[in-house]
Amino acid sequence: MRLNILIGGKAGQGINKISEIVAKVMNSYGYFTFNYRDYPSLIRGGHNYNILSISDKRVGSYESMLDGIIAMDDNTVKLHKKILKKDGFVITPKGFENLGRNLNVAQSGALIKVFGLPKELLINEIEEQFHNPDSNKAGELGYNSQQNKYGLKRLPNVITKMVGNVGIAKGAIDSGINLYIAYPMTPSTGVLHALAGEQEKHGFMVFQPENEISVVNSALGASFAGAKTMIGSSGGGYDLMTEGLSMQGMSEIPLVVYLSARPGPGSGIPTYHIQGDLDIALRGGHGEFPRIVVMPGDPIEAQEKTNECFYLSEKYGMLSIILGDKHVAESEFSTSNTAKKPIKVKVKRDLPLIDGIVKASSYEHDKDGNTTESAKWAKLNADNRTKKYDRAKEEISKKFEMIKIHGNPESKNIIVGSGSTKGVILDAIEGLDYKFLQVLYAKPISNEIKQHLQSAAKVILIEQNVTGQLGRLIREKTGISIANRILKYDGLPFESDKLRADIQQF
Amino acid sequence: MSLFSKKLDTDYEMTWCPGCPNHMILAGVKQAIKSLKKQKYKHESFALTTDVGCSSKIFDYININGLYGLHGRAIPAALGLTLGNPNLNVMAFMGDGGAYSEGISHFIHAARFNSNMTIIVHDNQSFSLTTGQCTPTSQIGFKSKAEPMGEVNQPLNPVKMAIASGMTFIARTNAKDIAHTAEVIEKAIKHPGCSFVEIIQDCLIFNKEINNKDKLMYKIKDNKNKAKAELLANQWDYNGKNGKIPIGVIYQEILPTLQDKWPRLKELKDKKIGWAQK
Repeated sequence: MRLNILIGGKAGQGINKISEIVAKVMNSYGYFTFNYRDYPSLIRGGHNYNILSISDKRVGSYESMLDGIIAMDDNTVKLHKKILKKDGFVITPKGFENLGRNLNVAQSGALIKVFGLPKELLINEIEEQFHNPDSNKAGELGYNSQQNKYGLKRLPNVITKMVGNVGIAKGAIDSGINLYIAYPMTPSTGVLHALAGEQEKHGFMVFQPENEISVVNSALGASFAGAKTMIGSSGGGYDLMTEGLSMQGMSEIPLVVYLSARPGPGSGIPTYHIQGDLDIALRGGHGEFPRIVVMPGDPIEAQEKTNECFYLSEKYGMLSIILGDKHVAESEFSTSNTAKKPIKVKVKRDLPLIDGIVKASSYEHDKDGNTTESAKWAKLNADNRTKKYDRAKEEISKKFEMIKIHGNPESKNIIVGSGSTKGVILDAIEGLDYKFLQVLYAKPISNEIKQHLQSAAKVILIEQNVTGQLGRLIREKTGISIANRILKYDGLPFESDKLRADIQQF
Repeated sequence: MSLFSKKLDTDYEMTWCPGCPNHMILAGVKQAIKSLKKQKYKHESFALTTDVGCSSKIFDYININGLYGLHGRAIPAALGLTLGNPNLNVMAFMGDGGAYSEGISHFIHAARFNSNMTIIVHDNQSFSLTTGQCTPTSQIGFKSKAEPMGEVNQPLNPVKMAIASGMTFIARTNAKDIAHTAEVIEKAIKHPGCSFVEIIQDCLIFNKEINNKDKLMYKIKDNKNKAKAELLANQWDYNGKNGKIPIGVIYQEILPTLQDKWPRLKELKDKKIGWAQK
């Protein structure tokens, strides 16, 4: 069972409230939800929509045809009716004209009735959200306006809902973060907001300086002084930081960076989706220095991998980059899983004042941290940085999941992907004879990938970018070039039914 | 705590030009720290961040905590140190190129944040380690390999800019006057909030025509009046050897610091601990 409901209207009308109320009620009734948010870069007006996917099993994408449209304005029906299924339903503002801001509550009620869920669940949720008798009435009016179309029965699943950005924030809190320093940039801003909201409760600090250059340089200063520090940005802001990332390579001050991709180049399409920044995550910054790059595919993985990044950065004096994108950052995932128990992150290095006198430098330096131009030190330090990476790789290989195998593990047909395509690939290959190899660590990359690819009869690379960056990385590490590629780069995520059809072409 | 030397000197080979006033600035900084140590400041509580350039070589010549930063970024690095442990006494050493060209935005915002730190600018009115190009404080007409027809732009007046930015401690000294520089730096470090010390120095190799302004300089009493500070700032426009150059504390006011404004930092400061000791 799977339903796709589009909820559309003008920015500011409250479409997110509808998807939130409905998803929470559906989750509490044992149904999984996935909510994709599509919005242009504006604050009021225009046209925004969400597609709420509902399923009795886990779901991580939406499909190309709609079962229903919730229209908060006329434009929504005009724009989307061509993808409404023949037996699809439409809920318009008709009958709710006098409700003002409570239109979204009434339409939530209407949708809950269409699914056939009990009214009490709806009213309890509205009461919890608004504490307003008018909202309760609006919900009831909406509920009573529809017929029970689907008659859904309660399922025994225990389900929670989270966005990727909150997963990253939770991973940072699990790691005992002291400082999050960031300058706002979509789609990384959700972490700034999430952590800012939690700072008083958990006793850490969120600071927004004048620009991303200040972000990275102040973060290095703070981390040097002993604070567990993370920074975050998106493409252009990350570009500004890269000189500082390079300084991390030389100074070996622990630093965790969240890079949330958005379509570029330039200012690009700020609020849309692409996996275009693996290359800059791997290479951003001049000179050669080690780093960790992880690519979580859902909020739980974001939480776990962020914790691993804090641990590795602190232990190895390393740069760790959590690579995400808008689709994993802002889509609302539901799950009955919880994150693994976090690893404790301890600061054991020498700290200024606390441990005496400590020096760190952007210049090549001797054992005391003083500047050197000696060939001996230049080589020794470069070798030590490489050895450090080897040690980190060894520990990661033993302790952490660098890849995950989904689908049929015995299949000779392999799909390779990473990050935010995880959800849609899982939905697309359901019932097909495919093994899905999800790459979680881009750097270091798992040695096992080569074995999987060598033993395969058919390999398909799935990425949301123009040039197949993950494929290029795999070719560099394994010598294997994946010829079968499904690439999408129009700013919109894959639809699972269309992706399934694309996969079946091979 | 690991063992460490409480000497300020290092045995690092000095690579400043012989006779460069940077040697005198270093002597002034050491003198200020020695005086503060006598007043119960812990040796290991001092930290510096640096820019890139001749000024920043001070990193290797003084035995205190240090983060050798990127060109123009000594200020955000210093800000970071104050966020990372508000019990550090942090000095950001920069040249006029790094402070007023590459890193100008940080300077203005440092004033706004008013975090407890000291910005020390070695101002010789030229980029020297890159062999003598114009900086924002170079005088009109300064000819360099990059500006063979001479600088055409009016120099920036950092003291006026600091006043306009809301810097809560603004001072100027003469590099050649070690005792006065030491005295002012000590006051700057003691100042609660962001302090700025502009040190006028000669470069013996590049932009020599602007050197030897000592006769124009005169010492002022510590000033806390903003209107007077503006008059003092206007007495010299950096554009030549006309006018008078006031040295000393040009302006000081006490406003809440970043450490007063942020509860987490205040807590660390009150308890005299860093994040790692929480």
